[in-house]
Amino acid sequence: MIEMHDVWKVYPNGVEALRGIDVRIDQGEFVYIVGPSGAGKSSFIKLMYREEKPTHGVVLINGVNVKRVRDWKIPHVRRKIGVVFQDYKLLPKMTAYENVAFAMEAVEAPKRRIKPRVEEVLELVGLLDRKNAYPSQLSGGEQQRVSIARAIVNNPTFIIADEPTGNLDPENSWDIMYLLEEINKRGTTVVMATHNKEIVNTLRQRVIAIEQGVIVRDELGGEYGYED
Amino acid sequence: MVMKIETLIRHIKEAYRGIQRNVAMSFASISAVAVTLFVFGIFLIVAFNMRFISNELEKQVAITASIEEGTSEAQVQQLLQNIQADPMQKFAEYVPKEEGLKQMKEQWGDTDFIQDLSEDGSNPLPDVIRVQPKKSDDIEKLAQKIEKLPNIESVDYGEGVTERLLNFSGWVRNLVFLFGLILAVVASFLISNTIKLTIHNRQREIEVMRLVGASNWFIRWPFFFEGAFIGIVGSIFPILFCLLMYQAALSVLNDGATFGVFKLMPMLSLSLYVAGSTLLLGIIIGVLGSIISVRRFLKI
Repeated sequence: MIEMHDVWKVYPNGVEALRGIDVRIDQGEFVYIVGPSGAGKSSFIKLMYREEKPTHGVVLINGVNVKRVRDWKIPHVRRKIGVVFQDYKLLPKMTAYENVAFAMEAVEAPKRRIKPRVEEVLELVGLLDRKNAYPSQLSGGEQQRVSIARAIVNNPTFIIADEPTGNLDPENSWDIMYLLEEINKRGTTVVMATHNKEIVNTLRQRVIAIEQGVIVRDELGGEYGYED
Repeated sequence: MVMKIETLIRHIKEAYRGIQRNVAMSFASISAVAVTLFVFGIFLIVAFNMRFISNELEKQVAITASIEEGTSEAQVQQLLQNIQADPMQKFAEYVPKEEGLKQMKEQWGDTDFIQDLSEDGSNPLPDVIRVQPKKSDDIEKLAQKIEKLPNIESVDYGEGVTERLLNFSGWVRNLVFLFGLILAVVASFLISNTIKLTIHNRQREIEVMRLVGASNWFIRWPFFFEGAFIGIVGSIFPILFCLLMYQAALSVLNDGATFGVFKLMPMLSLSLYVAGSTLLLGIIIGVLGSIISVRRFLKI
């Protein structure tokens, strides 16, 4: 569960990215974050995986106040959160398999558990037969699927996706969406910032709209609501 | 902080990869460390020898009290007992002039000067009592006390020379310390730059590690090992060089006509000190450099 109470984010240059956010996202939900560019979506997302700290207010991740967590414990908070980016952030010198295994090695998972688990998630994203390919040998959609496999390999309770279909053509975008939907059905919360009107309007879920740092709309099964 | 063996192996492999990827910069850092440690090693040799020599001198510090001519044997014995009763003295002995001449010949060799002294069979040296103080600081007080005793013609204790040498060696030690500190900082800075390059190359990797929840230490360790490795490799050549040079210096000094006072420290004990301290400093510099550079990349 993610909770925010009167959360403000003010950057050192004086920009007020978020101005009093109150929101609660329960376990198992699927949430779209929409809004114009520069409205505060990125700051909102970054607060959720503790890349940023709130300037004011409380952010609770699974009941833990992230502002109070000691720096050295932050990694443990992050292990419960899988993050997916628009630009995939795969390591170019590693194969698909190695990229996913790297996430398990980094949290010092026992070696004998790595191989079966990595193969399991690669199977889930439909890339087990491409496991020895390098990112440069994969299409954009395939790369994004590898990054999703990496995000879920450590069994997070949340997936936070920042414009995961931003660089993909419609067909690949839909593949990614079905994958995220599948992951959500297995119980993982998915929070996704997006500009994709078609997806939001077709695959109806909870929609949170942010404009000028404020939540202006929060409805279940809502529409995208912007023209672009 | 318990680390699994497989994790440790991974960190060391990563460190090796880091060095491999930046061969040129690693080489530059290793050279910088080597130069630093070489200078440090030389200063260390000087410092150790200063201390060694001053310790040796301290052992040799003694008061020579000349006895007036014509003093009877019994009076001399009385005098010796008086001196031996003093709490400041450690050891006192009577050296008759025949013995004194013999010792002089041993120390200086049978040179013309000595020959001339005793050419006609006469002996110009006085009978003396040689006294060693317990603490070298007390030497002046003790000498003054002895001078007042009856039948003492004069006392001689190399006024000031030993004190000055002791002071000088302390001063040199401080200077070496300061110099070493400055050099260490410079070398750390160089290493930190090398490691910064490695980190730069691996920035995306670090980003991913942070995102999936790798602990800070998991991210830091490879850079620690990289720094330590640079430090260790950088200390090997200066250690060998310093010790070879010292060996050469020793053999030159031992072969030539030397003054007994300036006996240098023997090779074995010196080489242990120098190699140990140099290696330690190399590792400290390396690890320090890696801490400096990793810190900024680990903002949470």
